[in-house]
Amino acid sequence: MRAYELVKETFWRRRSIWIVHVLWLSLYLMFWWLYYPDPEEFGGLLFLCGGFLLPLALGAGILGDDIASGRICVVLTRPLRPGTLFSYRLLGLSLQAAVHFMLAGIVILAFHVVTGKGSTEGLALWLFLSWLLFNTWAALSTSSSVLVKRSQNSLLLLVASVTVGIVINFLIWHLRDYAVGDVLKGFLRYCFPPYGLLTDLGKGEFEEKNVALAGLHLPRTLVYAVHSLLLTVVYAVPGILIFRKKQFLSERD
Amino acid sequence: MLQVANERITGSNAQATVVECRYLTKVYEKLLASHKRAVRALNGVSLSVRRGQIVGLIGPNGAGKSTLLNLIAGLIFPTDGEVTVCGHPARSVQAHRSLGYMPEHPVFLGGYSARATLRYHAALLGLSRAAIARQVDESVQRLQMQEFVDRPCADFSQGMKQRLALGVAMLNDPQLLLLDEPSNGLDPVGIIQLRDLLKKLRDAGAAIVISSHRLGELEKLTSDYMFMHHGEIITFGDKAVASQAGRLLVGLESGGPRLAEALLPTSKVLEASETELALAVDDPAEVPDIVAKLARGGARITSVMLQHEDIEETFLRLCNEGKQ
Repeated sequence: MRAYELVKETFWRRRSIWIVHVLWLSLYLMFWWLYYPDPEEFGGLLFLCGGFLLPLALGAGILGDDIASGRICVVLTRPLRPGTLFSYRLLGLSLQAAVHFMLAGIVILAFHVVTGKGSTEGLALWLFLSWLLFNTWAALSTSSSVLVKRSQNSLLLLVASVTVGIVINFLIWHLRDYAVGDVLKGFLRYCFPPYGLLTDLGKGEFEEKNVALAGLHLPRTLVYAVHSLLLTVVYAVPGILIFRKKQFLSERD
Repeated sequence: MLQVANERITGSNAQATVVECRYLTKVYEKLLASHKRAVRALNGVSLSVRRGQIVGLIGPNGAGKSTLLNLIAGLIFPTDGEVTVCGHPARSVQAHRSLGYMPEHPVFLGGYSARATLRYHAALLGLSRAAIARQVDESVQRLQMQEFVDRPCADFSQGMKQRLALGVAMLNDPQLLLLDEPSNGLDPVGIIQLRDLLKKLRDAGAAIVISSHRLGELEKLTSDYMFMHHGEIITFGDKAVASQAGRLLVGLESGGPRLAEALLPTSKVLEASETELALAVDDPAEVPDIVAKLARGGARITSVMLQHEDIEETFLRLCNEGKQ
């Protein structure tokens, strides 16, 4: 029951959450109706809106709201570890996204069946990859929510990610003839939310379907999915550690 | 100088002690601030609270009451000292199994009803589905929330929020209840119901610590008071001790201020007019000595009357002593 209530809370903590889901689904449908995109074009939209902007919208104030309002004070006097609360908030976001992308798939599929337009080839893969990308940004959003008041975590993340992205890409271009440029490329590809890796996976532009890793030949999809989930954990851990050590004042005398 | 009396009321049986605080100190510091901006909210506070005891925390704003409650609830960490609840560190999961906490300004999810909120908190206690349903129904009955139990919390008045917050704190009959201004927003009927409820919990063995500015209400409820000022316990005593303190009114023919200055310590003199002295006494046995001293000093005494302090007067006296 505890797990159920903790996850349910992430769905119902704000009325605007449902507005966001409906808006996003409407956006997908409108894009499909206007452009009849191929899977790659639609995948790009999914990555941008569903993989990047959606976690910022849903994760806004995921913990910051409760911390700023003082609601967290009563919740944390329950026999509940702060890390558990953090994990269930992130899990709730992930489940919301899973439902969101499934609904998106159903809506697009239904539209395709009715109109006969557009191509749904690879749509399921792109939806799955968008969910993986969502999780990494959701973990960053939840971690930053521990530090930043109310909904400012999303704005901070948006500004920071755009700024860092621009700076690193500029440095990569500027240092393209030096070894450090390759290092930065690798850093951006493997340590940041894996937009590049997952895009390549969605496009299927590989000579080899398998990846050689520690003497094993593993399917590329599996390796990239595990990498993405590991990144999610790595982004969540600092937030959990800070949350455990944080102090919460119900009132100051 | 303040008379600091950190009287430790400890149960003879260690298992009867629910809260144990040892030399608790809390200093709030702003990050990157200079030393001057550090605020010492608690200074070496030690106390014990045992089962079946209701302790009233009284003090002016900034005394350290909420800080003490927050430390016992495990919401903040002490700068020095330690605090345990039922033998476990205050911030531990084990301590929180026995704890019910009600903040001064309770906040709930606006979209949740009172029933859903109670269900949520009962689930966090790790109860089964059947136990949750039972606890929720009991809380609704106990706190008379039937009229608004299915309304969203966003529509609640302050009194409704207080009742719900009390219901949340009392779920599963905790061994320790921490209440910060529990009667805020309650109507007189609600206050009486709250008082009866807390007495029942006390009789069932719960320890209750209440921080309140409603001194009259505390007087009807608590058996023990803790007066705090500037982060220290000024005195910790039971009701009998608190009310032994009195106010001695001595009627004079004239010369009140002159006599007071010449014969009596400043801390004892509450008011001095030409024809009346109001003096603070800690013990009725002091009265004959005071009267004899005044008479020997040339006072022409017309009347002597001892008034016992109520808790409000004790509070004001101790605050005034603290300022001196």
